[in-house]
Amino acid sequence: MAKILVVEDDQDLNRAYGIILRHEGHDVVAAFDGQEALDKLADFTPDLILLDLLMPVMGGLEFLQQWSGTKKNPHAKVLIFTNMENSPEVAEAYKLGAHRCIIKSWTAPHNLAKVISDSLDGKASVIRQKQAAK
Amino acid sequence: MSQFDDPSPKSQLTAHEQRAEAEALFTSIGDGAISTDEFGRITRVNPAAQELLGYSEEELIGTWFPKKIVAVTAEDKPITLIDRPITKAFLTGKPIAEKTYYRRKNGQKIALSVNASPILLNGKPLGAIEVFRDITLEQEIDRMKSEFISLASHQLRTPLSAIKTYTHMLYDGYSGKLNQSQKKSLNTIISASDRMNELISTLLNITRMESGTIGVTPKLLRIDKIAEEVVKELSLTASSKSVKLSAGTKGHRSTSIKTDALIVKEIITNLASNAIKYTPESGSVSLVVRPQAASIIIDIVDSGWGIPKDSQDQVFSKFFRAHNIVKRETTGTGLGLYLVKGLVDALGGRIWFVSDEEKGTTFSFSLPRRDISSGRIKRD
Repeated sequence: MAKILVVEDDQDLNRAYGIILRHEGHDVVAAFDGQEALDKLADFTPDLILLDLLMPVMGGLEFLQQWSGTKKNPHAKVLIFTNMENSPEVAEAYKLGAHRCIIKSWTAPHNLAKVISDSLDGKASVIRQKQAAK
Repeated sequence: MSQFDDPSPKSQLTAHEQRAEAEALFTSIGDGAISTDEFGRITRVNPAAQELLGYSEEELIGTWFPKKIVAVTAEDKPITLIDRPITKAFLTGKPIAEKTYYRRKNGQKIALSVNASPILLNGKPLGAIEVFRDITLEQEIDRMKSEFISLASHQLRTPLSAIKTYTHMLYDGYSGKLNQSQKKSLNTIISASDRMNELISTLLNITRMESGTIGVTPKLLRIDKIAEEVVKELSLTASSKSVKLSAGTKGHRSTSIKTDALIVKEIITNLASNAIKYTPESGSVSLVVRPQAASIIIDIVDSGWGIPKDSQDQVFSKFFRAHNIVKRETTGTGLGLYLVKGLVDALGGRIWFVSDEEKGTTFSFSLPRRDISSGRIKRD
């Protein structure tokens, strides 16, 4: 089980991701824009952030910039979940530390669950390698 | 006699009249025009150029053009003498058309479309002439178009994502167990939304390409890494059909090249997803990067149904779908390879294929190692 912060402005999709990820046994907190996500990070330390890019108030890229400035929970992995396929915004998100990008309208729930599980496994193995190195 | 009657033959004009006519022609060009001698010193400048650059004729005549009028890139880096269109035109003896930025007298940067040509007398270059036009407004419109397309893409896909996600959730039993007939109906919704999604994606990309709003931004990148990224991203699609998808490199030359990463990825993704789509279950698709001395070739090799010989000359045409495929695979727009060809052309590359029906197809494209220029691409 992992802690996941879902940042998605579309209420229907945000709700759906919550249902799918809770069904997989994860602890899910929802935010509907980048600013709300930053606020939630004050008392929630996710292992993974599922981040939309185009959102009102504060978009995903600005969230990534502001979040790296706060240095809060820097080890959380960021999965970009967007419909802006092959866009400069996605390239920028990678530069700002995003781990992987998934196209929403191509991704079925079981695939979303698998990508998240793979990403978390990857993270676990990096942590294991670091511990072994010590 | 009206001004349009009985024009005198050119041979009857005196040398003085001919010079005056040439001067009048030069002065009345609506675009900025500057001519130089063989050393790059400005010999003539028309009023439009003076207005665009903010200098008077007296301030420009006799000065060294590359030093007086500084050319910069979009990122504000100075363009070296050898890369200036007028230098290239003078040295190659051929006309050069490029987009560039000049700095005005007040320091302001203006975007220009530049056409430079050598002035030749009996094959010997006497100097060069440059005609330039302010494209600031065009660039702004391009940027707005690009932003609109991006936003439209997002807005069209958001409801589609909700349709697809909730349909999948119903199918996967999140709201209770379903019978086979109900599942079959949901599968129809899923495949219809996939088709809609594919159509949005392709149409938006073609709109971008045909309207010239796809920006080409060359950067040094490794093609083998991009092929690996595509394999990673398409792995779920391939495994759902039990198609083995892999990427590898042949040869020891460098796989680094200066080109546009997003466009290359779009090309490889399109070709690889096509290959998966038109390969039967348990087949294979492999991406092979073959670095050469002057280019890098990327092969997309599949063990699919192949393209019939009698249709092979139409493969890159808009809306073309091979007759052997239409029977097997009803989805598809016939736009993917048209788009891919346009993108490969934009990167200065070449695309070709070899196909045997029932055995498979290898699509190959090459990317030149020589520098490609930044800017917008446009498909005629």
